[in-house]
Amino acid sequence: MKRPFLSRLAGALSLVSLGLGLAAAVLAFLGRLPEAKFKTAFLLASIAWFVLATGRKLGGSARGPSSG
Amino acid sequence: MSERIARLTAAMDSLYEFDREPVSPDKLQSGGKFAGLFAGEHVAATEFVIGAFFVLHGVGARDLILGLVAGNLLAVLSWTFVCAPIAVRTRLTLYWYLRKIAGPGVTLVYNIANALLYCVLAGAMISVSATAVGLLFGIPVPALDSVLPSNAGWVLITLALGAAFTAVAILGFSKLSRFAEVVSPWIFVVFVAGAIAALPRLGVAPDLSNLWDVATTEIWNGVAAAGQEKFGFWHVLSFAWFCNLAMHIGLSDMALFRYARKWTYGLYSAFGMFPGHMLAWLASGVMVAAIGREMHPGLMAYEAVGIAGLAGVLFAGWTTANPTLYRAGLALQTVTPGWPRWRITLVAGAATTVLACFPVFFLKLLDYVAIYGLVLMPVGAIVFAEHWLFPLLKIDQYRAEKRGWAFNAAALAVWLGTLAVVFALPVHLYFRWLPGWVIALASYTLLMAARRSR
Repeated sequence: MKRPFLSRLAGALSLVSLGLGLAAAVLAFLGRLPEAKFKTAFLLASIAWFVLATGRKLGGSARGPSSG
Repeated sequence: MSERIARLTAAMDSLYEFDREPVSPDKLQSGGKFAGLFAGEHVAATEFVIGAFFVLHGVGARDLILGLVAGNLLAVLSWTFVCAPIAVRTRLTLYWYLRKIAGPGVTLVYNIANALLYCVLAGAMISVSATAVGLLFGIPVPALDSVLPSNAGWVLITLALGAAFTAVAILGFSKLSRFAEVVSPWIFVVFVAGAIAALPRLGVAPDLSNLWDVATTEIWNGVAAAGQEKFGFWHVLSFAWFCNLAMHIGLSDMALFRYARKWTYGLYSAFGMFPGHMLAWLASGVMVAAIGREMHPGLMAYEAVGIAGLAGVLFAGWTTANPTLYRAGLALQTVTPGWPRWRITLVAGAATTVLACFPVFFLKLLDYVAIYGLVLMPVGAIVFAEHWLFPLLKIDQYRAEKRGWAFNAAALAVWLGTLAVVFALPVHLYFRWLPGWVIALASYTLLMAARRSR
């Protein structure tokens, strides 16, 4: 994940996975996704987020202000 | 005695040496960094508890929404007009600025007070995580009025979690800090998705036609749970304003804003307040209503989003307890010169773990947050007076530094005196900080002006 392209790609895909988790919740609310399936979908989207966002983090080097 | 204080303050200074100099212009950060920092920092384990407690305290839906909008707006304005301008003008942390104003002795007392308060806060976060892990083992969460642990299982879970959190804080603080940056956007999604998914259980129709009806009758229906005090608009407004009192009015976020290009960067705190201290609190209110108003963060998240919810509560507690433990250790290190970093973190972690066994700290979290802010607020008033009022009134600034005082007696007297007055004030705990701040500001200015005339 040292290359900026892969890092950016991982960042974009991680956001997509978060979006999918939210979309699953909306579908469950609308009654189009049973509760059990929603929970499984949310778990999978969460795992995808952790894998991709961690990959992006390992590839990036941006730092925020220190809380010193 | 004075030799001991000199030794302690020298040790303390060496710990904070790296940020002794004002921030140079090339180290200033963009506004986006501040937005990200605030957004990440204010979606924590405590949000699962605070939003739920508003439901249990019988806040009405209208009062809650208006109170949160107004209170969070006041918090943002406090960062913008009180904390950020002083930070940008001095480019110093509160630690070094307070040292110039009140002397190293008062700074030492401030550090110790801060460390103890941090330990209690980290303990509450461990307790919140324990509700998630305990659910897996069928361990009941203590009742709302519990002070002492109600069962051995709860004690075992909190001890195990406290030990794990402490070990990670010792072995891999920086790695977990990076993990926390990954976790915080996801935790926000857990809140939002959990609330959306819980709405049908409360009877909200897919077209949202009865959303307000459900909100006012099933969630924030204005009926307090048994044994809980009834809250209204002013309680919510005041709580949302003082929730981070030590950071804005208390000025500890000078450590962040000294990196800001302009004082107006204080407005970026809105990125933490409105998603974290408004949406997340509303979401946890929905989730607690969906499980029958039981104060059980683990169960709330599990029922709403399943296993991922349990992980959310566990990670939220873990990633927010970790920096809190680290800060407590750093502050305590000042009174244990020569101790290695790991040993002081171990001591802070052990104390925190023992505190976490007592459910009172998470079950009375709202009151604790109020007390935390109250204890540190007078220091902010003292610094504010010295920075803004003294030049206007032609009172000599930074006399502790210029005259080499270890203790600015006026600052210490005002701090302790203000605390005595605010804890005796015959008003609700949530409404005491503002008169206290005015008392501290006026009394410190008068005392230092009187010293000038002498």
